This record gives sequence, structure tokens and C-alpha cells, in this order.
Amino acid sequence: MWTGTKMTDSKYFTTTKKGEIFELKAELNSDKKEKKKEAVKKVIASMTVGKDVSALFPDVVNCMQTDNLELKKLVYLYLMNYAKSQPDMAIMAVNTFVKDCEDSNPLIRALAVRTMGCIRVDKITEYLCEPLRKCLKDEDPYVRKTAAVCVAKLHDINAQLVEDQGFLDLLRDLLSDSNPMVVANAVAAISEILDASPSAHQVLEMNSNTINKLLTALNECTEWGQVFILDAISNFTPKDDKEAQSICERVTPRLAHANAAVVLSAVKVVMKFMEMLEPQSDYVTMLMKKLAPPLVTLLSAEPEIQYVALRNINLIVQKRPEILKNEMKVFFVKYNDPIYVKLEKLDIMIRLTSQGNIAQVLAELKEYATEVDVDFVRKSVRAIGRCAIKVEQAAERCVSTLLDLIQTKVNYVVQEAIVVIKDIFRKYPNKYESIIATLCENLDTLDEPEARASMIWIIGEYAERIDNADELLESFLEGFQDENAQVQLQLLTAIVKLFLKRPTNTQELVQQVLSLATQDSDNPDLRDRGYIYWRLLSTDPAAAKEVVLAEKPLISEETDLIEPTLLDELICHISSLASVYHKPPSAFVEGRAGFRRALPPRSQSGNLTDEQPIVAEGGAPTQIPQATVIPGADSLLGDLLGMDLGPSMQQQMYPPAPVQSQTPVQSSMDLLGEGLDTLLGPTTTGGDALGGLGDIFGMPQSQAYVPPQEVWLTAAKGKGLEITGAMCRKNGQIFMEMTFTNRAMQTMGGFAIQFNKNSFGLMQAEPLNIQNQLYVGFQTKVLIVRSLSTH
Amino acid sequence: MGGVLSYFSAFFGTKEKRILILGLDGAGKTTILYKLQVGEVVTTIPTIGFNVETLMYKNLKFQVWDLGGQTSIRPYWRCYYSNTDAIIYVVDSMDRDRIGISKQELFSMLEEDELRKSTLVVFANKQDIEGAMTVSEVANALGLAGIKHKYQIFKTSAIKGEGLNEAMEWLATAMTQTK
Repeated sequence: MWTGTKMTDSKYFTTTKKGEIFELKAELNSDKKEKKKEAVKKVIASMTVGKDVSALFPDVVNCMQTDNLELKKLVYLYLMNYAKSQPDMAIMAVNTFVKDCEDSNPLIRALAVRTMGCIRVDKITEYLCEPLRKCLKDEDPYVRKTAAVCVAKLHDINAQLVEDQGFLDLLRDLLSDSNPMVVANAVAAISEILDASPSAHQVLEMNSNTINKLLTALNECTEWGQVFILDAISNFTPKDDKEAQSICERVTPRLAHANAAVVLSAVKVVMKFMEMLEPQSDYVTMLMKKLAPPLVTLLSAEPEIQYVALRNINLIVQKRPEILKNEMKVFFVKYNDPIYVKLEKLDIMIRLTSQGNIAQVLAELKEYATEVDVDFVRKSVRAIGRCAIKVEQAAERCVSTLLDLIQTKVNYVVQEAIVVIKDIFRKYPNKYESIIATLCENLDTLDEPEARASMIWIIGEYAERIDNADELLESFLEGFQDENAQVQLQLLTAIVKLFLKRPTNTQELVQQVLSLATQDSDNPDLRDRGYIYWRLLSTDPAAAKEVVLAEKPLISEETDLIEPTLLDELICHISSLASVYHKPPSAFVEGRAGFRRALPPRSQSGNLTDEQPIVAEGGAPTQIPQATVIPGADSLLGDLLGMDLGPSMQQQMYPPAPVQSQTPVQSSMDLLGEGLDTLLGPTTTGGDALGGLGDIFGMPQSQAYVPPQEVWLTAAKGKGLEITGAMCRKNGQIFMEMTFTNRAMQTMGGFAIQFNKNSFGLMQAEPLNIQNQLYVGFQTKVLIVRSLSTH
Repeated sequence: MGGVLSYFSAFFGTKEKRILILGLDGAGKTTILYKLQVGEVVTTIPTIGFNVETLMYKNLKFQVWDLGGQTSIRPYWRCYYSNTDAIIYVVDSMDRDRIGISKQELFSMLEEDELRKSTLVVFANKQDIEGAMTVSEVANALGLAGIKHKYQIFKTSAIKGEGLNEAMEWLATAMTQTK
């Protein structure tokens, strides 16, 4: 009785009695197979357009056991979509999967195992292990390869289950499969699993034996299979250079493949293993010769592929310029190249420029500078400047080319030209100053901050040769408040320079700029700089002159090179998104296990390096930065003005050329160690800021125990800045001794230190005394007094 | 007359009879299904989900659904109730411990409105094993006397194929009569 009531009441709440869903439900339960199939098709159609047909789940699942392959596929499709929304009910599909995995038709077996992998319902995964295990050992290769991929999918859902069930071992066994397609898919699955969980390494670690099998399968499988296999090989670390060479030998034929992805993957393997080979050997020379043609061929593909190829070539050229040094012509821009290809080609052209081909390059660049595309023209003009800095012999030709371009009076061309000419002045001082007059003619047309700042720098730097420098600078000063910060800083420095060079009638001007900078500006950088100049000028004009007009180090060579550790990592990621972005995968892939790939170290034959970890900790210390760098446009300012602030020490003018790290370390320690007290001795009476320092450094060194310094910040974490340090006690005071080492590609500056509140009550007694520019590969030692706070 | 009609209707392939095989896990449902269909004893694993097969008995066409008996699957039996002509309820005659649960499941199932008109056949299975409950013991334990549905109980052994034919014979007759 009671039950009866319940039934009648509940019917009010069932809404499926009418409408489309109800009709479909009836059709799905129809006896006629045709009608059933039509109904499932309708359901799939509704699903595709986004209607929610999950209510039909049981009815659709009931159509699953059928001989009709078409119907089965449709039901599977439905399952993949809705199993997640009906996780409990999904269990009803399990038995059908189990049966289908034992079907006599391999297509159905594969279909079942593939669909199983796509059903991401944790509750049913354990039931699917047995059928999957059977399919991994199936007699049909198509089923085996589908099962291999399914293991990777299952691993994504439940890694522990996959490991517990021993699927990793089964997967590894598939690497020895007789069918290359199976091998390729097993490799793909393994790579995927390794990316997600490094713990699987123990089971899936490749050894020479498996690599050999992969190399055998390589020649027979499809192009995409080849890509997977090559990528897997590239992650292997051969035990010695012989093995590396033999792998290279077997991979090089892939360089001739028609598929760009195969070619790039093969390039990656070769680039990586070449590291292990003797650099001067004939074999390496031959390998490098072999690498050029395939890379060149990539540039005749569609523009999109060209772009990917160019981004990769950009890395390769930075790592090994020799490979493409004779291929300059292929990077010449074609009129119909898309802009992204043009810009990338231009970049590579500059990297490949040498004395031998500068004439050709310059002719090209000159032509590019007259094109219509503004971005491209700008970059071309900049490229001319970079050529001048790179190839000294051609500097003169470059400068005259730039002058020609300035004559065109095209606004953005002129501005770009002025920016690069400033760099040329830095590189070749006292050589091309005759062109300043021409530059000054274009003063009024400059409207971009960078160009204005560059022009002002030129005027300030060569104030003695420009008769009306004061007038020019004064004209800039009128709109001081509206200028960009970059321009304001330059203007301040330039006017101070002018004053120091021609003090007679510029006093008013300097007063004006100092008050503008210190009193009317909210910009702390500008204010600080203003105050420092003010104090310098008011205390000791002679010292000010030495500081502000100090001789600047020459700038040199390549710009925007990628940092060597990053470059090595990116070389390991050739033919991936990382090599296109020029960023490590961890920078743009979320949740990836954060291990970095590094190039294998060179090894001698017989000299077994058993445990070469693929995972490298940060930057390899063996890599000494090979080139110094003009900082990018934004940080250039710091470099230009940096000298102004430093103490007047000639020793500080390090040659910026690459030096063995030994020498600079010594000189800098000398500089700040014993050398300092003599240096600072006479100045102690001067500014109070310096007085304190004299005390610190002039103090006799006690013989107390000094603990060895530990690494506090690795170069990899500190973007190239390495800090080692130790706490020590000297003369009853606590010191923190730190060594800063610049392992990056750029000069560093703007150091500051801050102590957080700590339980020891330690506070900073003195500001951080560090020369404000730390050059590449150099070290500097700092002592900081820490006083115990009274509280 | 009914016999003649059913003969023709089977000949023209009209409506299949829909039969559910239900019962607790391990009762032998899947074995019975395949014994009826292919005449052989197949090795089975627990059915997580369902099996569906079409089988001909005499001139009748049956669409037989064998549903898994695990506790986790029992709630979904109800999805299969509509339009069901007959239920084969399989009981493991050796499983004295769970005969009570079996009874509960049976009764809660029979309360369903959708199964009002269905015929019930109880298989007291595993009669080949020594010490199994007898048919009357099973019938008592299940409380079959209190059932309003049209029903019959058979002693069967799916392994040996005993009793299945008699049960199907009865079922076929019963179903043609209801028509």
C-alpha cells in the first residue's frame, strides 16, 4: 500500500516522460536494430551540438553489445563523452570492454582498448587492467600498439596502479617488439610517462641494448614513429664517445627525410651527442658538414615550417656557428616572406656575419632598410649597427651606410640609426665623431624615448666638440617633466658631463636640471642620481670629473645571446615548442616535473662515465661564458651610466673581453681585499658615506677562524648570479662575508641587500658596498657588518 | 490455437521476449546464459556490467540479459526492468549464508511496478555439488510461497546442463500462454 503511494508520487518528479529525451529513450530500447542505430546517431548528433544527453546513459550503454561495428563505434564515442558525468553507471560498460578485448576481430579489440583508455573514471580503471594486460600481449600488432598508448593514458589517470600492475615492464618489453609500429608507440608512451613521473625512471631507463633495438626499428617505422624514437634516443646518455658516434652514424640517414619533424629530431640527436665527441676530430667536422644541407632544405618549406626551422637554427647557430657559416645566402630575405620569417632570418644573418661575407650582408641590409614594413626596416637598420660592432673592418662602411639612411629623413629610420650609432661610438671611440653634425640636424624629428636618450647621450659625451651643446640640451630641458624616465636620466647625466667639460657658462643649466631631478620628480632613480651628482659636484668637483667623465669600457660583440646554460638546455629541446619559444619547458608547461635537460659532458673513450645523470643541477660550471654582451636596449642605460656612480678607481675598468675566469677573480679580490684600505685611506676624510667603509676595510685582519663559504644562491636560481657566503667573527664583530659571481651573459648592476627580522637580532650596519657593475665571469667579495640590535 | 499463432509469429520474427537473468554474484548466471546459448560451459569471470545474447528456444526468440550480481552493480538492475517478460532468478544452492540476502533482493525486485506482469523462474543452481540445499529448502528460504507473480522453481546444474531444458520448456509455455 505504502509502496504504491510512493510510486504514484515519484512520477510527478520524473521529467523524462515527455520530449526528445523520452522519444530517444524509447527508440534506443527498440527491438529493431536499424531503429536503434538511428537513435544512437541522433543521440551522438545532440551530443555534438552540445545538448546534454547524459540522461540516456544506461540506454545507450545497453546498445553496446552488438555485432554492428558502426553502432559499437557510436556507443564508444558516447561513452568517452559521458562516462565522466555518470561515473557510477559507467561500471555497466566494463563487461562489454572485457568481452570486446577478446573479440576475434583485432579492430574491435583495438577499438575497445583505445576507448577504455579514454574513459577517465577512476572507479572502473582497476577492472580494465586485465583486458589491457591481455591486449599488450595480443597477437595482432595493431592491438599491441593501441594497448601501449593506453598504458600512458592509464598512467595519467592512476600512475600508482600502472606501476603496481607491472605495466611499465610490459611496456618496456614492447620496445623489443618485432613490429616497428609497436616499438614507436611504446616509445611514445614511455616518453609521456617519464615526463609525468620521474619515479618511473628505474623501470623505463633506456640502456644500450634498448637503444640498439630502437635504432633498428627506426628505419622501418612511419615518420611520426621515427620522431618519437629519435626524441627518446636524444634523452639517452651514451656511456662513451664511441657509443655516441655509432648512434650518430645510424641517425644521420634520417637527416635526409622529407618530414621536417624527423629532420629536426635527428638534428637534435646529432647536436646533443656531438658534445661527447672530440671537437677537432674528422668525424665531428664531417657531421657538421652533414647538418647544413638538411637545415637549408627546411627553408624551402611553407613559411610556418620555415619559422619553426629558423627558430631552431637560431639556437644551432649560437651553439655551433661553423655549421652554417657558408650558408649565408639562404637566410637572405625574400620579398614575399611573411614578416615573422623576415625578422627571424635577419637575426640569423647577423649571427652569421663575418669578415668574409660582410660586403654581401651589408648590401642586403641596405636594401632591406628601404622596404615598406616598418618593423622590418627598423630591425634592418639595427642590424647594420650590429654588423659594425661585430666586424671591425666593416665598421666604416656600416657607418657610411647609416649616414646614407639618415639622409633619407624617414623618421623611424633616422631614429633607429641614431640608436645604433651610439653603440658604434661606444665600440669605436674617437673614430666617427665627425658625423655628429649630421646627427644633430635631425634633433627635432626624434620622438621616441630611446632615440632621444641616445642622442642626448651623444651630445653629453661629445659636448666639447659640439659648439652649441648647451643650447641643444637646454632645448630638451624645456619639456623635462613630460619626458620618459630614460630620457630624463640621460639628460641629467649629459648636462652634468657638459658642465664638467665646459663649466664656464653652463652653471645655470646644471642647477636647473639638478633641481628638476631632485625636487620636481617622483622617480626615485632620477632623484637619487640627481642627489649623488649634486653632492659630488659640491664636495669635490675634481673627483666628480673623474667619476663622471671616466673612461668607459668598450662594448663588444654579440647582442642578445641566450645564456649558455639555457642554450644547452634548449638544444636538448630542439624540435619542440621550447625551441620555438626559446624558453625552457618549465616556463610554459604547468605541472611538468621540473627537471632540466643538459647536454652530455665530453668523455674520452674507455673513460667510462657510468652514472651520467640526465638531470643536471642548474648550470654546468664547466661552461665559461664565451662572449660578453651589449645589454638589450632597456638595460643599456644602466651600462652607459653605470660608470658615473662608481668610485674613482682605474682598476675597475676591466677589459670586457672574454678572459679566463681566474684572472678577474684575482684582481677583484685584490681590489676589495687588501687593496682597498690603501685606496680608501685618503678618501676617509671625504664624504661620510665612504668614511665608514674605510673603517671596515682598514681594520687589521684578526687570525680568527673563518668558515669556508657555502653556496647560498646557485647561478641557475639567481638568473646567473651566484652568491656564496659565510658568517664570521672578526674583532668581536659579526660579519657576513659574501662572494658575488656573475655567471650570466650580462653585466649586473643595482645591487642592494635587505635583512629580514631575525631571531638573532642581527641587523645591517652598513650598506652593501659593491661596485655597481659586475661583469660577466667576474667575482666580487663583500663584507657586511651585522650589529646585534639592542632589543 | 495459441501454438499456431506463436509458430507464425516466431516465423515472421516478431517481438523478441525479453528475459533478465538476476541473482547474487557467483550464482552462475553467466554460465547459465552461455550454456543455453552455445551448449557449452565457458570459463567466466565476474560480470562487471552485463551480457546480452539472443537465443532461440523452440520457435521463440529470447533476448536474454545477464546482469552482474556484485553489490555495486545491483542498484542498476532497475534500469533493465522495463518491458521485461520474464526473470530467471539464479540462487547458489550451496550459499546458505547469503540466501537471506538473495531473498531480500528478490523481494525488493518483485515490488517494482515495471515487473508486475513478468514471469519468474527460480533456478536452484549448483545441484551437482554434494550437500546443496534441496529445491524445497531453497523455496522455503526464499519465501516463494508469498509471491504473487506467476513463478516456478527448478533444480539446475549449469555445469552439467541439468534442469535447464525443463525450466526453459516451462518458461516458453508460460510466456506463450500469457500472450
